[in-house]
Amino acid sequence: MDFLFSLLIAGVSVGSAYALVAIGLNMTFWTTRTLNFGQGSLMMLCAMLTAFFASQGVWLALAVVAGLAVVGLLGIFIERFAVRPALKTEGSMGWMVATLGFGTLLQGIAAKYFGSQAVAFPEVVFSASDTVTIFGQPAALQYLVIFVLAVGLVALLELFLGKTIWGQVIRAVSFDQELGRVQGMPVGAIILLSFVASSVLAGVAGMLIAQIGGTVDPAFGFDLVLLGFVSAVLGGMGSSVGALVGGIVVGVLSKLVGGYISTAAEHGIAFALLMVMLAVRPQGLFARPEAVKV
Amino acid sequence: MLEVRDVSVAYGAIEVLRNVSLCAEPGTTTAVLGANGAGKSSLLRAISGVAPVRSGSILFDGQDVTQIPAHRRARLGLAHAMEGRRLFKPLSVQNNLRLSWQFGARAVPWPTALRDVYDRFPILAEKAHVPSGLLSGGQQQMVIISCATIRSPRYLLLDEPSLGLAPIIVSQIYEFITDFAQRSGIAIVLAEQMATLALKVSDRGYVLRRGRVVQHGDSRTLLANSAASLTASYL
Repeated sequence: MDFLFSLLIAGVSVGSAYALVAIGLNMTFWTTRTLNFGQGSLMMLCAMLTAFFASQGVWLALAVVAGLAVVGLLGIFIERFAVRPALKTEGSMGWMVATLGFGTLLQGIAAKYFGSQAVAFPEVVFSASDTVTIFGQPAALQYLVIFVLAVGLVALLELFLGKTIWGQVIRAVSFDQELGRVQGMPVGAIILLSFVASSVLAGVAGMLIAQIGGTVDPAFGFDLVLLGFVSAVLGGMGSSVGALVGGIVVGVLSKLVGGYISTAAEHGIAFALLMVMLAVRPQGLFARPEAVKV
Repeated sequence: MLEVRDVSVAYGAIEVLRNVSLCAEPGTTTAVLGANGAGKSSLLRAISGVAPVRSGSILFDGQDVTQIPAHRRARLGLAHAMEGRRLFKPLSVQNNLRLSWQFGARAVPWPTALRDVYDRFPILAEKAHVPSGLLSGGQQQMVIISCATIRSPRYLLLDEPSLGLAPIIVSQIYEFITDFAQRSGIAIVLAEQMATLALKVSDRGYVLRRGRVVQHGDSRTLLANSAASLTASYL
């Protein structure tokens, strides 16, 4: 029972991390129908830079802000140079290769300057040994923090998209950018902001996950972005609630498989799930079908 | 006043407008006529800033806006009802109107502006919360025109408001356009394939053929000549 419980807790926690990645992917999907596959490397870079600044004696809070600022700026770079040129040609999927390629480039640069060894990540928010008691069982505090953060973010985004005028603007822009421009919406700025927000979120997720693992290395984030993608598709691309549920399903399922069958099958099961989902319900669990009469 | 001076528009090597000039005075309706592919939509798109202008200039009340991006031209008082049922189809009728109002001049408070639209087209009040993409063609055109007028624009571009609609709906839409022209006293540019219809409601007319202005002048004169010369322009 204890074993099952600890697997579930761990599953929900890593699932929440996948959910954060999935939400980051959603953000650019909302505005441009593109996904920033460079996110994995942004997570890595943010954690890496924070660890580096901290090791140079920079005040920790400042190191965190600096790391986030760098990935935010890289978000601008990605939008401008990896995504926008590809979108000039209608139906182009160039952004997919370009964002993935940019991620690989960042990974290479990090390996060159920081070495390919894992570096220790400082204790930013909490210590690895902090625990809380859930249903009479001890659970690491870090697991709880990441779960609460994911749930809170989903609630905020649902409110933002559903209840505010800017939520409507984002839906409008995702449907027809040109019409948005002709009606006076700052379409370019909205798209740019979505990439910055997605990148900063990747940075936050990267630091939280590095905090849990205790270390970060240049390859960090690569699996995460794939599993985040699986979570997003599973929950329904573009849906925040879907990202959370999809992430937790993937997280829990892979931990259960890892615990009872084999850790080697942990990630494989996520992709098996993806294939089943695409065959059975390709729009995902929570995507709202968009009614359009032609 | 809305001015187009010697504007050429080209998509890559394909030139769709060559040295077109046009002038639309406040309080008047200017018809842009021509067959399919003559360049009517390109001219309107050049004015609103979504077509690649190769040379020439566009002026709003004397201010050169040629280099100003589309969304800022819209904020300067331009409204463009584009052709082809351009609406935010997943959004409800009311949200389409709301967004257009939000980024317009907001000269009229939102509740009043909305009530005006619903008084004019009661069917839209019934469909207020329906995704606009599910409306009939005529109803969608009502939303599109209302989205343009709810902005309280200073210059209004209407692209083929009659396209694909039943005659009774066309007359309803045109009745609204002439009424709005009189009430608002702004400059309206109306692109239309149905020449007679457009000339009847307009003050001046321009006839485009393969991207050039081949005739322009007083609408009544154009209408009088229409039988012979206009048909020739369409061939």
